[in-house]
Amino acid sequence: MSRTYWRSPAQLEDRPEVRPFVEREFPEGASELPDGVTRREMMTLLGASLSLAGLAGCRRPVEEIVPYVTAPEDVVPGIPRHYATTMPFGRSAYGLIVESHEGRPTKIEGNPSHPSTLGASSSRVQASVLGLYDPDRSQTIRLKGEAKTWTDFVTAWKPLSEAHAADGGAGLAVLSESFSSPTLARLAAELRTRYPRMQWVTYDAISDENRLAGLRAATGRDLDLMLRLDRASVILTLDADPLLTDPEMIRHARGFADGRRAGASGGQMNRLYAVEGVYSLTGAMADHRLRLASRQIPAFVAALAARLGQAGVEGASVPGVDQRWIDALAKDLLANRGKGLIVAGERQPPAVHAAVCALNTFLGNTGTTVTYFEPKDAALPSVSALASLVSAMQAGTVTTLVVLGGNPVFDAPADLDFPAAMAKVAHTIALGHTVDETSSRAEWHIPSAHYLESWGDARAVGGTVSVVQPLILPLFGGRSAVEVLGLMAAGQDRPGYDIVRDTWKPILGEGEFDKAWNRVLHDGFLAGSELPEVAPDLKGDLFAELGRAPDLKVGPTPGDPTPGGLEIVFLPSPALHDGRFANDGWLQELPDPLTKLTWDNPALVSPKTAETLGLAGQDVVRVDYAGRSLELPVWPLPGMADGVVALTLGYGRSHAGRIGSGVGFDSFKVRRSTAPGFDGGVSLSKLGRTHPLSATQEHGSMEGRPLVRETTVAALGEAAHAAPADGEQAAESHGVAGQLGVFPEKPPHFSLWKEHPYDQGHQWGMTIDLNACIGCNACMTACQSENNIPVVGKVQVAKGREMHWIRVDRYFSGEPTGNPEMVFQPVPCMHCEDAPCEQVCPVAATVHDGQGLNVMVYNRCIGTRYCSNNCPYKVRRFNFFNFTKDTPDILKLAMNPDVTVRSRGVMEKCTYCTQRINRVKIDARLAGRALGDGDVKTACQQACPASAIEFGDLRDQESRVVKAKSDPRNYALLDELNTRPRTTYLAKVRNPNPELEGVPA
Amino acid sequence: MAQIFPPWSNKFPLVAAVAGPLVAVLAVAGVWYFFSPWYTDVGYRPVQPVAYSHRLHVGELGMDCRYCHASVEISPVANVPPTQTCMNCHQTVKRDSELLAPIRESIASGRPMRWVRVHELPDYAYFAHNAHVAAGIGCVTCHGRIDEMDVVTQMAPLSMSWCLDCHRNPGPHRRPVSEVTNMKWAPPRDAQMLMAQLDRERPVRPPMDCSGCHR
Repeated sequence: MSRTYWRSPAQLEDRPEVRPFVEREFPEGASELPDGVTRREMMTLLGASLSLAGLAGCRRPVEEIVPYVTAPEDVVPGIPRHYATTMPFGRSAYGLIVESHEGRPTKIEGNPSHPSTLGASSSRVQASVLGLYDPDRSQTIRLKGEAKTWTDFVTAWKPLSEAHAADGGAGLAVLSESFSSPTLARLAAELRTRYPRMQWVTYDAISDENRLAGLRAATGRDLDLMLRLDRASVILTLDADPLLTDPEMIRHARGFADGRRAGASGGQMNRLYAVEGVYSLTGAMADHRLRLASRQIPAFVAALAARLGQAGVEGASVPGVDQRWIDALAKDLLANRGKGLIVAGERQPPAVHAAVCALNTFLGNTGTTVTYFEPKDAALPSVSALASLVSAMQAGTVTTLVVLGGNPVFDAPADLDFPAAMAKVAHTIALGHTVDETSSRAEWHIPSAHYLESWGDARAVGGTVSVVQPLILPLFGGRSAVEVLGLMAAGQDRPGYDIVRDTWKPILGEGEFDKAWNRVLHDGFLAGSELPEVAPDLKGDLFAELGRAPDLKVGPTPGDPTPGGLEIVFLPSPALHDGRFANDGWLQELPDPLTKLTWDNPALVSPKTAETLGLAGQDVVRVDYAGRSLELPVWPLPGMADGVVALTLGYGRSHAGRIGSGVGFDSFKVRRSTAPGFDGGVSLSKLGRTHPLSATQEHGSMEGRPLVRETTVAALGEAAHAAPADGEQAAESHGVAGQLGVFPEKPPHFSLWKEHPYDQGHQWGMTIDLNACIGCNACMTACQSENNIPVVGKVQVAKGREMHWIRVDRYFSGEPTGNPEMVFQPVPCMHCEDAPCEQVCPVAATVHDGQGLNVMVYNRCIGTRYCSNNCPYKVRRFNFFNFTKDTPDILKLAMNPDVTVRSRGVMEKCTYCTQRINRVKIDARLAGRALGDGDVKTACQQACPASAIEFGDLRDQESRVVKAKSDPRNYALLDELNTRPRTTYLAKVRNPNPELEGVPA
Repeated sequence: MAQIFPPWSNKFPLVAAVAGPLVAVLAVAGVWYFFSPWYTDVGYRPVQPVAYSHRLHVGELGMDCRYCHASVEISPVANVPPTQTCMNCHQTVKRDSELLAPIRESIASGRPMRWVRVHELPDYAYFAHNAHVAAGIGCVTCHGRIDEMDVVTQMAPLSMSWCLDCHRNPGPHRRPVSEVTNMKWAPPRDAQMLMAQLDRERPVRPPMDCSGCHR
């Protein structure tokens, strides 16, 4: 199988702008200072300052030791402690284990026994620790901008609350984000008892309201669903992204990857069909992907339902879609009754969700691959409730508005004009992490406590009750929503701890409460508290509504997008979500999984649409939609449906802080309450200027070599039968390896250097399973958190100076203007046994150690960058500046004390988390036991939601990494160079439906 | 025409030939010694906020190191004791001493003591006390006769070559783990036998790779 892989159309066509990234380790000018001082000038300056400094620096600076006054029990300096806690996220909750060094949380991992994370995490979970130490967090309560105290607020609240109590709370309104928390639900109910006439409105900018509405239409009651991708053999996603932007992506990724892995080792591999307009990570993982504008999805569902023999949709079809595609899909779903799964995206209208529920039930999938349960202790989002609240605010009937978290001034639909309505409310109280868009306009602003600083609880999806346990006292005196609501509901100021315990007393029983409570704190959740599954009782004719979807017929025909018929789609940002993480440098600098863009959110269009409209990447356009407009650059993303313009939400904040303010473009400005997901009738006009964007897609290019390899299940099966039993060599020339593009003969190994002995001690190695990797970037953020990797900023990223030790390369294959496939490949340091970097270092700053690690000695490095030039994998990162010099003190608390903070002029790279290896080795030695497989986990491995990374001792024949390396799919990157990398890859396996061969998608 | 060079300049090559190498050797030797931790660090004895005497507490009163530095066996960090540890005794012993005023103030105000670090490694070097104690390296090996010091003084250069000297050949520096905090322990007459015994009971392979200490 011969495919051409490419990173961008520009690279495929070998346009001149990408040559510098291919030919040079760092593009020209990468060593120039940002303000125009050249390196030579800098050396002159440095020389002068050195001679001035003289010998004053001989004696090191005096350092102080500041012990505790009274040592807290159980805190031993130098030994990190771990606590279970929970990160609430809308109606989801992530069970976590957080590492704390002398009382400061530094690293977040998933809680292995918690069903929501299964020990893994995501970029956002990893990055949330940086949010705790955000120096731009609000530090004081404010009354109209003036600093006040909590006592002032409590005093001010008293007359206000009494006034409202007089008329049953008619003028009181609470606006919250959706939650699923026993304590918040209890307090909300108490508040309602106190103020029976108050309004409680729940609004999420990115919500699953359509799904709730669809399930309500289908079953007559509120239902939540839980996808169990691990049980599914055939998965169809409709404009959905369960693997990235879905709040449950961690669990989904694990389930999906389990199904992929099973197929690669002889079992049945799941098959993923994705029908979508905007390229999503789920689409990138799909075996078959159909490009279809969001507006056409209802028609597609109708056509599929018709093919599955449902009544009411007879003869439905989708213009421009080959009927054979739908036929094959329907056949596959029917053949896998009870093992199939259809997922509709949250953007899609309720009718689609209702129909999908009906189809899943028809196919016997309900109860196996998708289960339903009634949301409990939950606040469910509603845009229409927000709209009526806004009109009440406009009418002046709301006199006190409490914004209990969330940022409606920024993210409420533009047509509601929330800021103007808010100005008419006499008293506004806003709880916020920063003095954000909403808080800055509120009468009272209360700094919100981070989840690592406050007591609380949450139900994870499925209902598991989990406890939010603080690891540190509020750094800036913030209050949690529990405490604010507690004050409002009970009229008295009580600590969150007491309030939460009050909620848990009936749950755990009064008898042995403290014992049970301690157990819950230890575990992080209450085992066995899942909500019961509900069998949905479907109402008839759920498909008729599909045909009534208004925009169905005016969708652009593929291949002929006209500006008048363009479709606008609003996407949650994979990093910033709705903008709440905008001030998190790790997330801003994290390349978008699909576009590889950092620090920006251009409008995404397909290359063909861009061509039709005469647009090129970075061209600024004006998006005109429903009487509003937005100016932003465009970025052609191959694989988008033609005629679709995708706007990413969450950027363009004005009050985010010094990292996030003014970064990107605010797509909320054109979003309407009637069409929060997608709509037609948008037009683009070119403005004749450009906006530079920083994409990492060309960085680290290793041109034209077989870097990613893939095969199919069918080919894998044939090869397994064909492969002779005796040995690797034969397998490589005839079997799978041959098909994968491995060289027919392994080049002879010959070294001019004295070879390192690799037969003693631990010999560490890693495998990365490209078949499991979903490209979600969790590894990158985990590595950044573990290894104190600095953030460099947009301008530096454009110059190729990003510092991530592990990058996720994304390759396309196929026609750029068509429907190209995508492959992801995480690339950390390969820890070559014959490392080219070591051979060229003039000062032996990068050398090998006895465990096979290629180690980087910062204090020896003089910054020649020879090693980086000689690295075929381009994994070395150079500190062009002292990126950590201006780090605010508070952010230093997030640093891992076990890892050196690097200074200017030194090279760095992946160390296989040598600090973790050392700690585990010493601990095992002290405990008098041998290291077991899995004792050492690298940060990337531990975070990976797909469990794509294995790490362990290559001399332990029973270790998982050795087993992975004996898989026939195992290959080394650039094997022909004979660098003998310790990190190897397992080839990706696709599972295409043979019936769809040759069918255009 | 006058001579450009006076007659004495004839001697210049000779002087240069003799003095040149001499100056060069002196410069190298000077840098070698004066720029090394043997000169810059050994003997460092900063003034501490409280004139705590290890000679009195360890040498005369016979307190064990681990009474104060309690985490030395289990943690990479040998903790400096919290103020409370001082007060364990000093709320009854010498409770009015002028010298202890800062300690009493610390416990009363809750403000921690600020001791000056004596044994300081660079930030890129990670030393683990627990591993060394478990391997039977005595406190005295690196810290010197603390029990004889009124003011703690750095006795060893704590340089990388000094560390490696021991890592390359740890045997002679080992002692039974029970004797680690014993300041006065001396190897028995048949030191070789003890070395062999320790090596049999708990063989050590101290890392000599960069990654052993630098992370």
